[in-house]
This record gives sequence, structure tokens and C-alpha cells, in this order.
Amino acid sequence: MANVSTVFREIGAVVQAMGVTLRALLAGPLTVQYPEQPIAVYPRFRARHELRRYENGLERCIGCMLCEAACPTGAIHVEAAENDPAHPVSPGERYAKVYEVNLMRCVFCGDCETACPVEAIVLGHDFELAVYDRDGFLLTKEQLLNPKVPNVVVRAE
Amino acid sequence: MPDQVTLTIDDVKVTVPAGTLVVDAAKAAGIDIPVFCSHPKLDPLGACRMCLVEFVGSRGSRLDTACTVRVAEGMAVRTNTEQVKAVREANLGFILINHPLDCPICDKGGECPLQDQTMAYGPGVSQFVEPKRHKNKRYPISDLILLDQERCILCWRCIRYLEEWEDKPQLGLFERGGETMIDTFPGQPVDAKTSGSIIDICPVGALTNRVARFRYRPWELKKTPSVCNHCPVGCNLRLDERVHALRRIVARENMAVNDEWICDKGRFVHQFVDHPERLKKPLVRDAQRGTLREATWDEALDRVVEKLGALVEANGPNTVGGIASPRVSNEAAYLFQKFFRALVGTNNVDFAGGSAVRAWPTGLSAITDIARSDLIVLVGFDPSEAAPLLAVHIKRVVLRKGAKLLIIHPRRIELAKYPGAYLPVLPGNEAALLGELAAAVQASKGVRGQEARGKQAARNPQSPGPGPQYPDVVALLAAAKSPLFIYGPDVARGERGRATVAALLNLATALGQGDKLAYIGAGANEQGVRDMGLLPDTLPGYAPVSDAAVRERLGKLWGLQPPAEAGQTCARMIGGGVKGLFVMGDNLAALPAVAEALRKLDFLVVQDLFLTETAQLADVVLPACSFAEADGTYTNLERRVQRGPQGIRAVGESKADWAILTALAEKWLAAEGRGDRSGVAPAAAPELPDWKRKKRKAKTGPAAKPWNYPTAQSVLEEIGKAVPFYATMRWEALGEGGLQWSARDLRVGVRDSGLSNTQSPTSNPRPGEFLLVSSPLFWDASLFMQYAADQVRQLIPAPFVALNPADLATAKLAEGSQMTLTSPHGSVILTLKADASVQPGTVWIPATLPGLPAETLGGGRGEPISVVVR
Ligand code: SF4
Ligand code: SF4
Ligand code: SF4
Ligand code: SF4
Ligand code: FES
Repeated sequence: MANVSTVFREIGAVVQAMGVTLRALLAGPLTVQYPEQPIAVYPRFRARHELRRYENGLERCIGCMLCEAACPTGAIHVEAAENDPAHPVSPGERYAKVYEVNLMRCVFCGDCETACPVEAIVLGHDFELAVYDRDGFLLTKEQLLNPKVPNVVVRAE
Repeated sequence: MPDQVTLTIDDVKVTVPAGTLVVDAAKAAGIDIPVFCSHPKLDPLGACRMCLVEFVGSRGSRLDTACTVRVAEGMAVRTNTEQVKAVREANLGFILINHPLDCPICDKGGECPLQDQTMAYGPGVSQFVEPKRHKNKRYPISDLILLDQERCILCWRCIRYLEEWEDKPQLGLFERGGETMIDTFPGQPVDAKTSGSIIDICPVGALTNRVARFRYRPWELKKTPSVCNHCPVGCNLRLDERVHALRRIVARENMAVNDEWICDKGRFVHQFVDHPERLKKPLVRDAQRGTLREATWDEALDRVVEKLGALVEANGPNTVGGIASPRVSNEAAYLFQKFFRALVGTNNVDFAGGSAVRAWPTGLSAITDIARSDLIVLVGFDPSEAAPLLAVHIKRVVLRKGAKLLIIHPRRIELAKYPGAYLPVLPGNEAALLGELAAAVQASKGVRGQEARGKQAARNPQSPGPGPQYPDVVALLAAAKSPLFIYGPDVARGERGRATVAALLNLATALGQGDKLAYIGAGANEQGVRDMGLLPDTLPGYAPVSDAAVRERLGKLWGLQPPAEAGQTCARMIGGGVKGLFVMGDNLAALPAVAEALRKLDFLVVQDLFLTETAQLADVVLPACSFAEADGTYTNLERRVQRGPQGIRAVGESKADWAILTALAEKWLAAEGRGDRSGVAPAAAPELPDWKRKKRKAKTGPAAKPWNYPTAQSVLEEIGKAVPFYATMRWEALGEGGLQWSARDLRVGVRDSGLSNTQSPTSNPRPGEFLLVSSPLFWDASLFMQYAADQVRQLIPAPFVALNPADLATAKLAEGSQMTLTSPHGSVILTLKADASVQPGTVWIPATLPGLPAETLGGGRGEPISVVVR
């Protein structure tokens, strides 16, 4: 009677498999209709950089070039200058006159973030980096200060 | 006391000269004792307590400052005990109590001893959570230096530098306790001419360079050892480059030249190197529109070859000439004169202040001789304004070794306040005064000879020669064992200058010190340019052009011999002696009268950094590199040949002077080979029907050798062959400290310079008339100053004329009023200033003020000029 028990076992397996299939059928699709639908990323996801400001509008970056020093790929270029005390760009004496990130070099390691003493440069969640020409990969200070999705939470670690 | 002392530092036995400080002995033993206030070039003070170490004695050990205690025989020092470690930590903690957390925005960050020592010896964590004390930040102590009182750790280095080296106590400590801070005295900013040195020696970022502020971080700089291009001292400095821009200049130590200091011109005036207005492409004058337009190098050089060549062919080689700047490198100067001598076939080469000035060819015996001399005679030369590092050396020997100064100058210059004597002299009367002095010295020698026999002879009215007119001065001269006689270009121009130099030489010889005569020029490489033979009557290596043997030797080297007759001087070339002129690096046309003369030329080539007044008149403008962008060697006032390697990428398409000349020569030779010089459009020159004949001639006669100089070093190699005493001056051999050529290699006989016509003395000016004095001013309006950073440019004074207050009172003139000054050469309107350093009867208008007022009135020609002030 080994045959009878085998038959029942096989039926059981088929039912189990159908169960999985039916459950999946009811669960709805996992596929996100990107780019029509936005994609959620993890909070610690690191993509395009942005430069932050204080609430009063002053730029956080003080042009210290420590991010430039920390960057393993030489992707950052900073030129500092002295603030005009009457119209300061940033708090204190120094600000970044030029701030550029070369995304073709960047490996999104986040070392720049870690090096920054004032949490000015952060890696945001905007990963849509395709552009039509190479120059587009050179992010200027203007672009960095005005990201598409502003106000990334600064990572605590 | 024994000369050598042996002590033990951390079980290491060290033997050092007696009197050495423990901190230096430790350095000699390779043991690091951290210091802040102690500095090898400053007197010990013991202000910061960072250097505390344990001295082990028979009664136990005690802590003391290694920077103030001198070594003693058998001394035992420990630098690595727990106690020393603990005091270092505590001490750093104390220093940092009120030190701001400025590192990210501090220019010193990255090369900051406080950072380094906190990392090496600090406690690692801060015990202090209280708010820090606030003081002034961004506080200007001068137009060039900012002080951050919060960052200052009160080490006194800046105070001591200004006191000990500059003798200008312009910084001090104010307040007490935690409020203590460095400040200037009210209304008196720091104005020492080497004030920037305190930025270098400040152990923190309290003193910062306003010109270079925030333009760099130390770790990303490319550092190139170079030499200064501003004055003939040739201070050693370092060019700090970042992304193809010159970010700052700092001093580099060379004990034979500048110790470890540089002046504020050398440090702060460098924006001309990468100024946005630098010429980036060659320019040629458009035939139709008559304006300058951009061109390719080929087009520009072809134009020069064609036009200069046509002038040579039509009127002979002596109708073209070249005027260079005494600032260019030896390589450029050598190739420049070679181009004219070997290719064009004329000796018409000179520089402004070149053949017109009677220069003693061997310069100063050595800068270090200043420290060894007991009397320095300065004739018509003001080191404080013309060569500030020399002034620093001179002040040092006066203050530390009691040397005396004898100053003969129409103006009571800054150094005249030191012991010795100041002899005011009317411009033009130097020769007469020196003659009297020489006679008096001779006479006193006779007197002293008699003195040996009978003591009363000192006041003997029958002493031979004219009686000593200047007894103090003669005594000063006679007492000097190792004097130095220094004169400058202002008293050596023209016939009068010839007489002055002869008289000075007589004086030096009368004292048995004929080899201590030194000429100090105006241009940074004036010595080198003269060595290279950039003079109409002198070949490379100071042989006169008439010397057939030297001409033959050079002919072998060059393929063609230089002509035997002397060329035209700078003044004659400008005054219409030539039809075609090549000006390399000098802005002659800044003076309107010269511009007028240059307009009459058929063809003018200008090779320079900027579109200067001269370049605007040119038919072809060739963009050259500054000293920072090209390899080159420069010879300073003590004949030290020093390397100035390329420190930054050349701006635009500009090229090194030597490279431009090489390219030009190659084109010239190619055109010569073809028999025509209309390189661009041979058809455009149908008026040369006999080109075939010329070609044959060129083939049969001796031909110039090709110019094969791939690098500046290869030019230097040829210089070694052309100038015998440069034979050992190879690029590698020069090293970072340079090499001096020996004055003994050049035999300058006394008779070579001793002869001159006697000059009529300048008579005292008539009432209402004044004699013009136009000695240099440190912050003038020279070309590099005009293209300096804003902070520096605002130091250029508005054009002024200074008179003695007594003269002002007599003439009832008010300070600050605008006056018209008229001389036979021109007239200018200037603001009046009272200045007690100006002698009665003279007016002082510094050389190279904006608009060149002194030059317009005829200053700097070697003739006394009388001026009417209205
Ligand atoms: S993420 Fe990394 S590679 Fe990219 S700029 Fe920052 S430091 Fe450089
Ligand atoms: S982003 Fe941060 S690290 Fe980079 S220069 Fe600005 S302040 Fe400095
Ligand atoms: S002086 Fe040194 S420790 Fe002080 S803020 Fe500057 S870099 Fe930092
Ligand atoms: S400013 Fe600098 S050099 Fe002067 S006392 Fe302060 S720390 Fe020392
Ligand atoms: S280094 Fe000795 S007390 Fe400052």
C-alpha cells in the first residue's frame, strides 16, 4: 500500500504548491512601475550630494576643504574666500566661493560627509544622475545648494 | 670655561659648544623637545613653558625650561619621564583653555605646531566645558597682516622678531592675566619692511597673510624652492601652487643670503604671476586697422624676422637694437645679447641703468661679510627702501656687534639714526665729498705716522694735504678694520657717477680696503645681466668688445663673431639711434617722453607679461612668462647664481623668455638660409631681386650655428662655455642654495675704474630753487606693484614731493597743498609733504611714483636737476 500513501503525499505537495501560487496571486505585484512610480530607498542610501543651509539661510559650508582632503577620488574642488562682514555667505570668516563635485569620479563612499565639521555636504537620495553630456556630471555649488529633493536627514553615525 | 661641553640627555651623551641651549643640544642629539616660544633665530625667553624637562642633580630632579637653560658639563636631562609627560599634557591643556576651535578655517591648520604638538603630547580629551574667552578676531595690525587674538598663545615671537631683527618694537602685550593680548601701539600699524616674517614664525594661526588668506590648505600645495625677483638680494623663497595658481610665497632659509626672512615685497607682491590681465597670446599690429590683434606664435615670430631682417638688410645691422630688463634670467639675458651679436650682427644691447651706470662688476664680496664688518659705508644707497634684507643684516650687525655706519646720502635715510656718521651731500657732490674724505684720510695717515713718533702731532697745523675736515668721520674710517663700501646706481650714473665711483675707490684704496667696494644695482638680476654681457661695450664675462681673443672664442662657440665696435647705449637707441627695437621686459614708454621717441621707430617688438604702455606701441607683442613659470638662474648682488625653477604652469600661450628667443632665432636662421626673411609671404617682398646672390654669400661665409636649446639648462651649459667663471654653474651643481662665482676669477684692476674727469661741484641752489633727489621708495608704482593684490596696491602712495620743514616755512608753503614743480625737462603737479629727512635746499620725489614725476623732471640721469616749486 505504499502506492496509496505516495499518492496522498503527492496531492498534498501539489496543494501546498498551489497554495504558494494562490497566495502570490492575491499578494499583488512587487514590481514598481519606475519611473512612473517613485522608488523608496533606505535612509542610509548615499546618492547625489547636496550642500545644506542653516534655517536663517546662511550656507553651512565654511570652505575648509576638509571634504576635498578626505575624498579618495579627488572628486571635490573647493575655493574658499573671505566673507564680507556686511553680507556674509556663511557664519564666520570663511565661505566656499567655488564648490564642485565631479560625479564621474565620485564613488559615493560618503567620506566627504564624515569629514565635514559643520555637516554641510551630505549625500542625498537623488540617484537619477543620467545627463546628456559629460559636463553635466560636474555639479556646481548652485546645483548642490538646490537639490531636487531637499532636506535629507543627516545621518547620526 | 671649556669650549665643548658634554651632557647626557635621556642617556644619550651629547657634546656641544659651551653656551648652547639645552633645547638645541637635544636637537643635535635627535631628541625632540616640543617648543612654542623658543626659536633658533630669536633670543631665549621662556614664555610658554612647553619645553619643561627634568634636570637630574645631586639633590633630586627639578623641572626647568630647556629653551632658556644653557648646557653645563655633566648635566643630566630627562625628557621622557612621567612627570615631563604630565606637565606637557597640563601645559597644552592650559594653552587650549581659550584657544578657539578654528582649525577648519585657520590658514595654519595642517602646518600648525599647536595642532601637531597637541596630537603628539596632548591629553587627548578636554577637561574644559566652560565657554571660551572672546577677543578680537580678524584684527588688522597692518594692511598686510591680520591678527586673531583668540588664537594667539602669547609666545612673543612676533614681538621679539620686530625688536631683535627689525629694531622696530611695533607690537606689544597689553592687559593682564587671561585678558593678555598682542596689539599694536595706538595709531601705529606695523610697517617694518619684513613684517611678513612674523607670519612664518607664529607657531599658531594668529597672524595671517591677508593676500593669501583662505587661498590654500597647506597639504594640497605644490611647493617649489625659488628665488625672489624683486631686488638684487635674491632672497630664497618658496612658491606654493595649487590648481595652476600661485597661492602664496613664504621664506626659505639660506644662511648665506636671507637667513630665513624675506621682505614684504617678496612675500606679498606676486599677483602679477597669475593676474587676469596677463598676455595670453601673441599680438601683431593689423596692417589695415592699425590696432593690435591676436596672432599665432608662428605669425608673430615670422613678422619679427621679416621686419627686423628687412631693416638690417636695408640699413645695416646697427640700425636695430635690443633693450632688456635687469630682471630677466641669466638664460634670457644671454640669448638676448647672443641674438643681436651673433645673428643680427650688432652690439646694440643694453638695459635701462646698464651702460649708463658705473657698476663695480664683482658686487658685494659676500652678504655674510656684513656680519663681519665693523664699518659700513653707504654712498647714495638706501638699503631700507632698495634692498630691505640688506637693511636687516646691517641693523643686526649694528645692534649685536656694535658696527658703525657712515652714510653719505642726499637724504637722511632710515639707517642714519644708528651710531656712526651721516654726511648730507647735495646730489652731484658725492665725488667732491669723497675726494675730500680720501685726502683727509691720507693726511691723517701722515699724522698717525707722526703720532707714533710724537704724541702732539695730532693737531699739527703743518700736517700734509688739506687739514682733516671731518675729524670724526676720518677717525671712524681709520679705526675700521673690516669696512664695506657700498654704493648704488643713483650716484653712479653718467660722467658724475664715474667720478663718484673713482673717488670712492680712491677712498677705499687709501684705507687699504680696495676689494671691499660693492655696487648694488636696482634690478633683481642686474648682476647676472651684466655677467651675461647685456651691455653695448661688454661681451659675456666682462671682456670689452674690442678684445679680439674673446671675440674669436665666442665666434667659435656661436659660429659668428660679435662686431668689434661698441654698440649704442639704451639712451641712444631710444633717442633715435635705431629704426628697429626689441624690448624685453621693460616698460620704457611709461615715461611719455620715451613713448614719443618710440613712436618714431619703424618697428618695435615688445616681449612682456602685460600690455604695458610700451607694448601698446609695439608692432608685435610676444607674451612672456614670469619668473615663477619658467626655469632660469639669477645672480644676486654677491655673485651667487641661484636656481629659479618653474613653479606653476605658464599662463595661456605665454612662453619663457629664453624659449621665445630660441624660437625666434630658429626662424631667423631658417630665413637666412633661404636668403630672404619674409618668412610669411615671400611674394610680398619682390624688392629683393638679388636673393640668389645672398644665398651664395651665406653659404661661403661663416654661418651662425643652430640654436639648439631644448631646456633652460642647456642654455646655462652654453653660458658656462661663454663666461669662464660660470663654467661650474650647472643646474644640478647649484643646488637649492646657489653657488657664488669667485671675485678673484675676474681681474678688475683699480685703474680700470679709477680714472675720470673731475666734475664741477653742484652749487647751492638759488632761493626758490631746489635740487631734485629721486632715491627709491619701497612701495613704489613699479609694474609688478601695479598688478599686485588690492591690499598691496593701496600702499602705493599718491605722487608727492617732500621738502624740509624749514624750507616749507621759509617759502611759506603749506603741507598738503598741490604745487607745480618745473625743471628744464618738464613739469609736474604734486602734493607737498614735510619730511625732516629731506635736506634743506632739496626736494625728494621718490623714483617710480605713479605717473613717474621724478623721472619726468629728469631724475635718474646722473645730473643735478634744479627744480622750481610754485
Ligand atoms: S562620496 Fe566619497 S568619492 Fe564621492 S565626493 Fe564624497 S568623498 Fe569623494
Ligand atoms: S563641505 Fe564641509 S568639509 Fe567641505 S569645505 Fe564645506 S565645510 Fe569644509
Ligand atoms: S592656530 Fe592651529 S590649533 Fe589654532 S585654530 Fe589654527 S590650526 Fe587650529
Ligand atoms: S601672534 Fe603668534 S607669534 Fe605673536 S605672540 Fe601670538 S602666537 Fe606668538
Ligand atoms: S619653548 Fe621654552 S618656554 Fe616656550
